[in-house]
Amino acid sequence: MIVLLPTLAEPEHFSMVEKFLLTGLVAVSAWTFWHRFGLVLDKILKSKKDAGFHLFPIGKRVRDFVWEVLCQAKVVRERPLPGLAHAFVFWGFCAFVLVTLNHFATGLGIGFLDSAGLVGRFYFYFAAAFALACAVGILGLFVRRFLVRPKWLGEKLSWESGLIALLIFVLMATYLASFFVADGGLAVWILWWVHTLALLTFLPIIPHTKHLHLVLSPATVFLSRGGFSSIPALSGDEDFGLVAGTDLTQLVSLQAYSCVECGRCTEHCPAANTGKLLNPKEIILGLRGYLNEYGPAAEEPLLGKYNAQQAAFQCTTCGACEFQCPVGIEHLPIIVGLRRGAVNTGAWEDEYGSKLFLALERGSNALGLSASERDKFIEKQGLPIFDGTQEYCLWLGCMGSYDPKGREIVVALARVMSYLGVSYGVLRKEKCTGDSARRLGNDLLFQQMAEANLEAIAKSKVRKMVSICPHCVRTIQEDWKEYGTPPEIEHHSEFLARFADRLPKQKVEEKIVFHDPCYLGRYRNVYDEPRTVAALAGELVEAPRHRERSFCCGAGGGLAFLGEETGERVSQVRTAELVATGAQTIAAACPFCNTMFRDALAARGEGAPELMDIAQLVARELPRSKDNFCSGP
Amino acid sequence: MKIMVAIKQVPDRDAQVRINASAKWIEESDLQYALNESDAYALEEGLQLKEKHGGEVIVVSAGPERVGSTIREALAKGADRAIHIVCDDIGERDALSVARLLAAAMKPESPDLVLTGLQSEDLGLGQTGVIVAELLGMPHASLILQVEKTETGVTVKQELEEGWFQTIELPTPAVLTIQSGGNKLRYATLMGIKRAKTKEVRQLTATELAVDAAPVVVLERITLPKKQKSTQMLSGTAAEAAAALVQKLKFEVHVL
Repeated sequence: MIVLLPTLAEPEHFSMVEKFLLTGLVAVSAWTFWHRFGLVLDKILKSKKDAGFHLFPIGKRVRDFVWEVLCQAKVVRERPLPGLAHAFVFWGFCAFVLVTLNHFATGLGIGFLDSAGLVGRFYFYFAAAFALACAVGILGLFVRRFLVRPKWLGEKLSWESGLIALLIFVLMATYLASFFVADGGLAVWILWWVHTLALLTFLPIIPHTKHLHLVLSPATVFLSRGGFSSIPALSGDEDFGLVAGTDLTQLVSLQAYSCVECGRCTEHCPAANTGKLLNPKEIILGLRGYLNEYGPAAEEPLLGKYNAQQAAFQCTTCGACEFQCPVGIEHLPIIVGLRRGAVNTGAWEDEYGSKLFLALERGSNALGLSASERDKFIEKQGLPIFDGTQEYCLWLGCMGSYDPKGREIVVALARVMSYLGVSYGVLRKEKCTGDSARRLGNDLLFQQMAEANLEAIAKSKVRKMVSICPHCVRTIQEDWKEYGTPPEIEHHSEFLARFADRLPKQKVEEKIVFHDPCYLGRYRNVYDEPRTVAALAGELVEAPRHRERSFCCGAGGGLAFLGEETGERVSQVRTAELVATGAQTIAAACPFCNTMFRDALAARGEGAPELMDIAQLVARELPRSKDNFCSGP
Repeated sequence: MKIMVAIKQVPDRDAQVRINASAKWIEESDLQYALNESDAYALEEGLQLKEKHGGEVIVVSAGPERVGSTIREALAKGADRAIHIVCDDIGERDALSVARLLAAAMKPESPDLVLTGLQSEDLGLGQTGVIVAELLGMPHASLILQVEKTETGVTVKQELEEGWFQTIELPTPAVLTIQSGGNKLRYATLMGIKRAKTKEVRQLTATELAVDAAPVVVLERITLPKKQKSTQMLSGTAAEAAAALVQKLKFEVHVL
């Protein structure tokens, strides 16, 4: 069977002149590549060392590498068609490594794959299959980039991208065509040299274009910080975050040069989608521009050159960009890093921001209210004080302590816990977890908040905590680690889902749309639990953007406390999406989302759907007999 | 311009104060402390003047060791150095006695401008700054919201009653007591705190300052405000009830 198929034709003889020419051209191409790539590598290597970076445990790195790089899973999952086209180009390249080596070796008379032999034959067919897929793939990507032109790829058409696509196509076409020509003829000679020249032209274009991701992104994925929005600890007395070139670490520089400009980050960014200055792709490219112009030893401030301070402070830290990025760029540590640089040095002057920071400096909460307001709330609701005997410590958070709607959620959860017979208590005193300070880059304040809370909690014999606020949960569990050992904490959706079979089911039909909070979904990977809980109260419908692709409410990253937004309000865009599902009820699982939607729904006027936290949905169905719900079991 | 800012550490505004065993002061053991609010504005005014005109901002504070944290905060916000008058009996001293300490510490520095908050949040006497001016032999103005430097001194905006303001010129050196709200306060930064570690804090004692500590006002006893709510029903015709109400408001609760 295999004998009937054509074999790969090769020129039979290379003259001495040709061999010299080939050697010379390879040398020039390789030198040009290395010369250009060396500049980039030098900037990355001369960047500051990442102080807290550890290669181990290596298992996750290998898994991510296999899954995201070799399998192209993220590339395909988030944009299936172009993703698949890209995957074929990538796999084609991988299959081609051996073919290419053999190609040059043949030119020098030392070819090692015999096109007539069994192994050679098999491999050339194997590569041909990929070459075909790759050629179709690159054609598809070319059509997409130059004819369909999705706006996320940017306004500007890069001629280099066109050239690269052409070169890849030529490489594949010449390879495939070589199966259909005779050995040793003029045709195969032409094909062979066109293939060679395409390869040698391709190589030097890589380092100064986005195609650098071919070389860098496998390393970037492998060398990630290892956690979502993993904000590195500051090191030493002169580290205030990303202030100048000298603060760019090797990982940041590597990521800046890895960007492939696909624009997935921008496509999913709530700021970029509502007419704000922030564009996460431009943040990364801005750093690359800075590195190219000033380098990693420069004292020039990062903000004000290629990146604007205003843009850095428009980020809701929803993490859609970091979640989407196929080349392993960690946007959040970079954006928060730029904010740290501005806030820790006092360069950021913002009326609302200062007000928030001063409220936290002087008081205990982000809302700037007197701590006695919390005491009054606890007393009025008869919430038991945690004394070490109860199973759970119910962490109220700023919203649960001071915000009227947040308090309703706490009361609802307390009712459910009592109904379930689970013992709980609240801390006599609580300070803000420091979430907003952390995301806005105020390390001083965050440290003070984290340390004060850790100390108080250590004294109180808390074992398990539960909170209505995904921001509190994330900050306590992950961010506090920088200053001590945080207690075990979970979100109330996780708690409630465990008891789902003991909670009452609603009888009436009600369509409910659940909004995934960023800090519960992308940050904590909890998607099913709140749905399990919400489904007790009615029929679940989904918004077009849900789960990993959920669109932010606009509150995160401290933005709930900052002034009016430019452009459209993120909250109104998201609320419109939720309303358009036709659901009678919007189920939230975060008091910040709740407050944003409440305002946006109020602006819509009559006929707006009801807005409830999942705890309230459950509490609504509880028997009313237990009036003294907070006295505990 | 050499600017000295007198600051005070006061119990946090959320603090639940309890009276201590002597009944002459509050129980300090479980209290959180903070910088007195109008002193924070005085410091801000000083820092802004320095930023505009150059010079030095020196903070001065009297009190026990715990005051150190508030001094650090002021240094972190941008003050250049500090003088800490260490005294454990700050609660027992009257305004004159505290002013004497402050003035004695300030005098050798020959400041061009002395700023302090209008009054403290704990005692609210509103006298200390004014007495310091007297002791230093400097002119003063109180309730100041804005300060502009002129050729010979300063032009200041003073708050009067009912939304009226007055602009005053006075020569320097001078003492100004600052009202809250005239400026936007800055937040403390990590860089500020780190830099503050290397800034000088000179500790002095009352003995070293050779100041007479004998208070002229003696604190006898402090009490927590009584929470009371009473309801009285007024009877009679509308006119009679109104007349009775006016009588009560005038002579019983003294609000008219």
